[in-house]
Amino acid sequence: MRLFSSLCLLLLALLSVVSGRSAVGDRVLVILEDESQKGLYSKFWADLEDRDFKLSFESPRNEQLSLFRHGQLAYEHLILTPPKSKGYGPTLTPKILLDYVNAGGNVLLGLSSESGTPSAVSSLLLEFDISLSPDKHSIVVDHFNYDKVSAAEKHDVLLVERPGQLRPDVVNFFGGEGTLAVPRAVGQTLGPAIPLIAPILKAPMTAYAYNPGEEAQSVEEPFATGSQLNIVSAMQARNSARFTVLGSLEMLQDKWFGATVQLPGGKTSKTVNQEFVKQLTEWTFQEVGVLKVFSVQHYQITTASEPSQNTTQIWEYNPEMYRIKNDVKFSIEIGQYDRTHYVPFVVPDTDALQLEFTMLSPFHRLPLTPSTTTDNSTIYSTTFTTPDQHGIFAFKVNYKRPFLTPIEERHQVTVRHFAHDEWPRSWAITGAWPWVGGLWSVIVGFLLFVLLWLYSEPPKEEIERRRALSVSTS
Amino acid sequence: MRLQSLLPQVCLLLSALQSGAVAASWTFADGSISVAAKGAGVGGGFKETLTPSKPLTTPVKLGSADTLKVILTTQEGQSAKRPHQAFLLLQDPAKKLDVSYPFSIKESGKAKVELSHKDLPLQLLRSSYPLSASIVIASFGSAEGYNSKAFPLTIELDPNVPIPVAEKPLRYGKLPEIHHIFRPDPQSPNVVISLVFLGAVLATVPALLGAFLYLGGNINHLGKALSSAPVSHTLFLGSIVGIEGVFFLYYTVWNLFKTLPVLLALGVVAFLSGSRALTEVQERRLAGLR
Repeated sequence: MRLFSSLCLLLLALLSVVSGRSAVGDRVLVILEDESQKGLYSKFWADLEDRDFKLSFESPRNEQLSLFRHGQLAYEHLILTPPKSKGYGPTLTPKILLDYVNAGGNVLLGLSSESGTPSAVSSLLLEFDISLSPDKHSIVVDHFNYDKVSAAEKHDVLLVERPGQLRPDVVNFFGGEGTLAVPRAVGQTLGPAIPLIAPILKAPMTAYAYNPGEEAQSVEEPFATGSQLNIVSAMQARNSARFTVLGSLEMLQDKWFGATVQLPGGKTSKTVNQEFVKQLTEWTFQEVGVLKVFSVQHYQITTASEPSQNTTQIWEYNPEMYRIKNDVKFSIEIGQYDRTHYVPFVVPDTDALQLEFTMLSPFHRLPLTPSTTTDNSTIYSTTFTTPDQHGIFAFKVNYKRPFLTPIEERHQVTVRHFAHDEWPRSWAITGAWPWVGGLWSVIVGFLLFVLLWLYSEPPKEEIERRRALSVSTS
Repeated sequence: MRLQSLLPQVCLLLSALQSGAVAASWTFADGSISVAAKGAGVGGGFKETLTPSKPLTTPVKLGSADTLKVILTTQEGQSAKRPHQAFLLLQDPAKKLDVSYPFSIKESGKAKVELSHKDLPLQLLRSSYPLSASIVIASFGSAEGYNSKAFPLTIELDPNVPIPVAEKPLRYGKLPEIHHIFRPDPQSPNVVISLVFLGAVLATVPALLGAFLYLGGNINHLGKALSSAPVSHTLFLGSIVGIEGVFFLYYTVWNLFKTLPVLLALGVVAFLSGSRALTEVQERRLAGLR
């Protein structure tokens, strides 16, 4: 245990050396084709650098560019801005980007309806079941929630409230007060089948996507409408790599940070794009919502009334074998990374961290409750009785939630049957008494018979009769 | 001179701008809603006129074979005009779902949308509350858009036609708890019953003894046997009692590895002493004593 905790400390120390604010690393690669556009986003870069990220700017045309070095990630985080041409070129093909995500790299993909979305990007997003409009220049408008100051005519700067909770049981990393300005966004729709994708910011109910080329006519077949249209959506892979699709890259520009906007018929207000973008990058670059399992422990509880036969076995932690109907305590220590360090992880009231004791299918699925809190973690634990079924079981904690890194812990143990000398003895079972009594009465009867056979003297007349018989036959 | 000629033009321009700003508000006229059942013919079914900003209060019922039709003429201010957006917006307030159906609009502003069960997503089709239907008319520029509730819509499902169950997609979340149900422990009958039968079983031993005595059983030859072959008889009887004793010890405390060697030793003693002892018994028989 001591060794383990010191190892943990060492690991923590290593981690803190490697990264500043993110749980995984601080190297950010920004793919920016037009160097002159860098100035438009100066506040965004400054925000990132304030948070100890090391930014490298590269053009997708650079043929030396590689996301990997010696088979390892060269950059933990990647910001993609829309390319001018049909794709990002041979150094950033969808395949390479997928490999990057599979290796654990985080991606913030910015889209823009002005420069259009290349088909390579659309096909990459289709891999995650996020679809974009087939129109390359599709744009989201809302004639009811637009900025009167900057888009009085075209209505293509949407004013959206900051997102609320996705579900009652999901942590909201993007909430808060204020209005967001979303200029010239590319809307996405999410496929229903994949649980790894989640919407972050949805369009208002009256919004729709259209192709600016068909402005003269009325829109008859919109790509998507209302809240089915997502402006910002996220995909978190099972390896906890995060991929955020930002429908409007322009949101990050200096001029939209704290810009004065006005709803039609409403008051003027300042946008909170800067705060929202900070939340968005904090989540994408794994500064928040990163869960880590520090330790897992399970052991058998013995009641004090039963004196233990083998004291060393009783106090063994994480044994490989239990017996059926043993009382077992299971605890797991989980910390949540919060910008600079790990803090105790708190499960929302409407959610539950669950332990499964499973062989093929779960026999027990029990909620884990917090028992102790340390500086960096919470210890969740529960007790239960192993089922009356022997076999190879596993303690499983499978905690996957939107926006939190998945936890999948599996610890295999054997559950054996009662040994022959662990059953209650037959004299303790009242129902067995007649049978046990029968056995011993047979034994006593046998001994009596042996005595009788060896030492009994026949009656006198019987001897006479036998003698007469033996005389007559001979 | 030149300024004077410009002045009326500027006035005209200003007034035009002003009128544009004031009149700009989208609305509709000649609105009507009808639900036509299949094969009901003209005039059959439900028909109602729609007026802007005055939603119907009674829910419109849409059966499984019916077609709902909304016809209206979009207007900007007073003049008929085609907007960019003209949607029939259906909302499920309970599930916070919304879906829009665009009107098909002619240049003159005449707009029409038709809706039947097959157009509706499954989630809305199964909604137990009336859906709220709004009409949304808006376009670019300064004209204010129109977005107001038009009518509540109740979906009437045909019980004979099963609608496909919306397959619930996998979402990560809390799962229902499972508590293993243990098999019931083995039960013993009432201890009184056990004791009665135990008593009956143990009573057979005195009964056996009584039967032996009644039939004339005795141990009168014991003295004779012990005097003629004392060692073998003692050992034989002792080993038989000892074997039963070993069985008792095995039942209570010993294990098999302890039991077997002792049993073997006692068995050898019983075999050797038994053959001598039984020879003595045979001699008694040949002597006619038994």
